[in-house]
Amino acid sequence: MSLNIFLRTFHNLTSKRQFLKIQWKKLEKNYFPVQKRNHLSQSINSNSDMPPSGKARTVLIDLSGTVHVESTAISTAHSAIERLRDTSLNIRFVTNSSKESKLSLYKRLKNMGFDIKMDEIFTSLTAARQLVETRKLRPMLILTEEAMDDFKGIPNEDPNAVLVGLTPDKFNYEHLNTAFRVLLDKPDIPLIAINKARYIKQLSGLSLATGPFVTALEYAVDRKAELVGKPNSAFFLESIKDFGCEASSTVMIGDDVRDDVEGAMKIGMFGILVKTGKYRDGDETKIKPGPDAICSDIGDAVEYIITNLT
Amino acid sequence: MATSGKKWFEKSRQIKGVLLDITGVLYNSGHVPTPIPGSIEAVKRLKAEGIPLRFCTNETQTTRAELVKKLCKLGFELEANEVFPPAPAMCHILRQRSLRPHLLVHPALLPDFQEIDQSDPNCVVLGDAADVFSYENLNKAFQVLISLEKPVLFSMGGGKYYKENDSLVLDVGCYMKALEFATGVKGEICGKPDANFFNGALADMFVRPEDAIMIGDDIVNDVGGAQACGMMGLQVRTGKFRPSDENHPTVTPDGYVDNLAEAVDLFLANRQK
Repeated sequence: MSLNIFLRTFHNLTSKRQFLKIQWKKLEKNYFPVQKRNHLSQSINSNSDMPPSGKARTVLIDLSGTVHVESTAISTAHSAIERLRDTSLNIRFVTNSSKESKLSLYKRLKNMGFDIKMDEIFTSLTAARQLVETRKLRPMLILTEEAMDDFKGIPNEDPNAVLVGLTPDKFNYEHLNTAFRVLLDKPDIPLIAINKARYIKQLSGLSLATGPFVTALEYAVDRKAELVGKPNSAFFLESIKDFGCEASSTVMIGDDVRDDVEGAMKIGMFGILVKTGKYRDGDETKIKPGPDAICSDIGDAVEYIITNLT
Repeated sequence: MATSGKKWFEKSRQIKGVLLDITGVLYNSGHVPTPIPGSIEAVKRLKAEGIPLRFCTNETQTTRAELVKKLCKLGFELEANEVFPPAPAMCHILRQRSLRPHLLVHPALLPDFQEIDQSDPNCVVLGDAADVFSYENLNKAFQVLISLEKPVLFSMGGGKYYKENDSLVLDVGCYMKALEFATGVKGEICGKPDANFFNGALADMFVRPEDAIMIGDDIVNDVGGAQACGMMGLQVRTGKFRPSDENHPTVTPDGYVDNLAEAVDLFLANRQK
């Protein structure tokens, strides 16, 4: 057993014990079966095309809810990423984060002690900017001030698109009405959603994300939004383009059963659902076919990949 | 005056009861509510002819009592028992199903719910809360819903938008859709276009749907809703009406009129023939 694994296990046990104290009842029901299962054999529901070993080349990892929640790291995330670094697997962090610019996200991860490079992060904001530039759009931006940094230099006079990302401060009557009027006045302009996540995990609990507000606008103007981030296939494919590898040799780890796991599986990636972040009991039954594998957290997911997919 | 192809008014003599929408048909809402020209007189004329009449509104920014007071002040002749807004119907449903609501409604509507137990909520009720639709308040409603074993979501109306102070604003239906998407819970509508809501007003006049006509400015919720319920649905070109409504993909009204006054002119003229 390497020191790494030892430390990881030790860290796991300590934090798990604290967790037990707080949420004994919930754990009694849910946690023990998962823990046993993960320590004995981690294969749960393998129904992907990927053979049991020797095929994975790239691992895509979701950030919020999988690696961290707000500014707190998921307990096994540091060691899990270190373990992956010891393999020959390509790593990319794919995030639908639209609340902050890539730079500030990068800095926050650094502050949490993650050894991650800026160009390893693939965000839906970057993809959105690419899309806006390619199509010469002048979007009305419904974004946080911080996220707007990623759109510096993009014209927004006389808007010919409405672009929406997670911005709780602007998800209110006044700003939604403004966006609605632009869309209603110009029936041909696109409504672009950085993502359509239903909710996000915050330390205070689950909170509404971008999806519900995009849905409100879609309903008001009878128009479907274009999706930039996960689960859009183009987004997943773009994220692995640099590696020159196939979707079928890519594994996606995430806490959102639809946007991360189902989205990745649809294009032939191996989808692993982790039970951290926004995960709620029974999420694995919300998609058909179910996730290729279900793991308690990113640490167990990496263990699963190394054991079964390399 | 341009009237559409279907001669709805030729059936005037068969009509035994009329349902009127309020906002956008009787008056335009806003800082200074203004009657739509000819509407005060039109209501008077229908009443003078003895035609059973009810007002079917999705108004949830004020209590029924305050709404009636406001309309009377504007010069309309109507009484509280002729006006059917969603709140009283909603209270009836809550009592019937022993539900305790978490209310996300306009503060001015709260008196209509004062006799309803709101402790330890086991459902969420949305009204047209306007600027009370903040992120925090929507999030609270979301968190109540996901904490319930059997989540129930009600929306007093399913409208997309309406006109206020000369611009269009999002209506409660959009916020219902937002919470539906977030929670996977299907909202139940209390108000137009729900058939139960129209039927409540019709039953009060002892009139069957096939003998009634609904006049409104909302092509989907007034006109489409009434037609789905078996009534005729007449579209006025006032309030939230937009020219593109005349090519609506799913709803074809039984007729278009420029305003309520024109509807009543045609209706009464053909009735007297």
